[in-house]
Amino acid sequence: MFRHLLKLMWNKRRANSMIFLEILLAFVVLFGVFAFVFYNMDRYRSPLGFNYEQTIGIRMDFDDELDSLAVIELQNRIHREMIAMPNVEAASFIGPVNPFGGNTWQTGTEVNGQQIRTQMLFADYRFGETAEVTMTDGHWFTEDDMKGKYIPTVVNAEFKRRYFPDVESIVDSVFDINGEHIVVGVTGDFKYKSNFAENFPLTFYPQMERLGEGDPYEMMVVRLRPNTMAETEEDIFNLLVDNTKNTEVVIWSMAKDRNKANRPVMIPMVILLVISGFLLINIALGLFGVLFTQINRRRAEIGLRKAMGATSGQVTLQFVLEILIVTVMALLLGAFFAVQVPLLELTPIPGKFFYYGILAAVTIIAVIVLLCSFLPSRQAAGMHPANVLHEE
Amino acid sequence: MIEIQNVTKAYRTDTIETIALHNMNLSVPSGEFLSIMGPSGCGKSTLLNIMGLIDEPTEGTVSLAGKPITGYNGKQIARFRNEQLGFIFQSFHLINDLSVVDNVELPLLYRKVGGKERRRLALEALAHVGLSNRATHFPNQLSGGQKQRVAIARAIVGRPNIILADEPTGNLDSHMGDEIMDILLKLNAELGTTIVMVTHDERMAKKTHRLVRLSDGERVS
Repeated sequence: MFRHLLKLMWNKRRANSMIFLEILLAFVVLFGVFAFVFYNMDRYRSPLGFNYEQTIGIRMDFDDELDSLAVIELQNRIHREMIAMPNVEAASFIGPVNPFGGNTWQTGTEVNGQQIRTQMLFADYRFGETAEVTMTDGHWFTEDDMKGKYIPTVVNAEFKRRYFPDVESIVDSVFDINGEHIVVGVTGDFKYKSNFAENFPLTFYPQMERLGEGDPYEMMVVRLRPNTMAETEEDIFNLLVDNTKNTEVVIWSMAKDRNKANRPVMIPMVILLVISGFLLINIALGLFGVLFTQINRRRAEIGLRKAMGATSGQVTLQFVLEILIVTVMALLLGAFFAVQVPLLELTPIPGKFFYYGILAAVTIIAVIVLLCSFLPSRQAAGMHPANVLHEE
Repeated sequence: MIEIQNVTKAYRTDTIETIALHNMNLSVPSGEFLSIMGPSGCGKSTLLNIMGLIDEPTEGTVSLAGKPITGYNGKQIARFRNEQLGFIFQSFHLINDLSVVDNVELPLLYRKVGGKERRRLALEALAHVGLSNRATHFPNQLSGGQKQRVAIARAIVGRPNIILADEPTGNLDSHMGDEIMDILLKLNAELGTTIVMVTHDERMAKKTHRLVRLSDGERVS
């Protein structure tokens, strides 16, 4: 029976070419969308590496006339007063790259003959506790670390994975990145740009209070007690205006900033999924239409097959198999081209997401084709041979 | 072999009831070549369809090979049609997307017959109707007479005991009609196949063993 159907489908290849093309194109679109969505969902699910809930970001402006020691003294005073506020759990200074802020500071250097590229975040010794940074080795630099010979530095897990994969621990390693640094700790994953960001090698180190030079921190990260954001914002604003003598204070919710940072990926993803949904509806309706038309055109054949001894089940199976054969051919061709993407490493996205994309696209199309072919096929099976043969 | 007892067939709509056959009784013994004649709409094809189990009587019973068909389910009837009956239609009903030999194989697809055996039987049936050289052709490459010979090969490939032919020469000129009739007569004579043929052609009917005439759904002779 199967060979008979293959032969029949081959002989009707022109008539089936449009369904073939429709399924092939649908596969290509769905494969691309699913690979993109799976990859980004995987990124989204991987941990950020720090806590942003109940946390506010603050940008302030210090008097340009203040020297660095005065700024450090002022910042320490702000910190003392802020931490004394009842709703503040922790606070730290950072800058100029802040989580979800969209800024990047990147540098490259050579360590032991190896070219290292890293993004940098400047933060004080309180940031690890304030942002509840997940540490996998060592610790976040402390006030005591500031007094050592080298600049205390924390790197992220990706930094270690990429540049020191064979070393058990890089804590206490010393290398030169704009000065001599000692690694005191390694964080887990740390995605400060958004939930969808790639893990990129990162280096955290203190800026002015250790170096005594450069620009002062201009931002703060402040973790509040749950549900106190609204009532605390004004107190914090007043505290900062009083201390800096400057009203250029901006306070924002880091959770809202995170949503904003996720949008450039989230919105296209939702749009693509909606388009894919419409595409699937279109395929379903198209298949319904084509199958109903084909079955109406083939009423005499259905009557004939039943007269020759085909049962209703066999007629149903024939039409379902016919459309499945076209579907399988289209999906095989589509999958052949799709696997070239990971095999030839055409994109930096890991290959497994393309294989998942192929699997999901094949499954969804196969299910839709089966569902859409069943009803018209049942209708065909229900035809009375005497009636349809007589009509002819 | 075929026993029709008190068969009535009525087609009903909301407002009209049309009686296609009324209280029909007919017995066709094994090996007989019977022709059925009558004006258009007298119920000839309906009778043939009921004999071929592709239509059900409103009343009455049909027995084939001594077995009353009443109470058979869809699968049993399909199997009975496949193994015991062969059909020949006025308009051939060949599948244009299949080659001649694939068309002939069709009834065997619904039996447990292997591919090679199917092909052998189909070629044998084609040889029987003198179309071996057209096995790989497609129906649209054949003349009307050749198409009907393919349909006969398809009807006999499963070695049925009964062939039901609905105006098999109706779409053919007299020369081709004679050729088809000769094949049917040969099948009946050589293989002992029971044939029931509906025809409008008195000349063809006279070549058969017995003629039954219908009028307005009733048997008149």
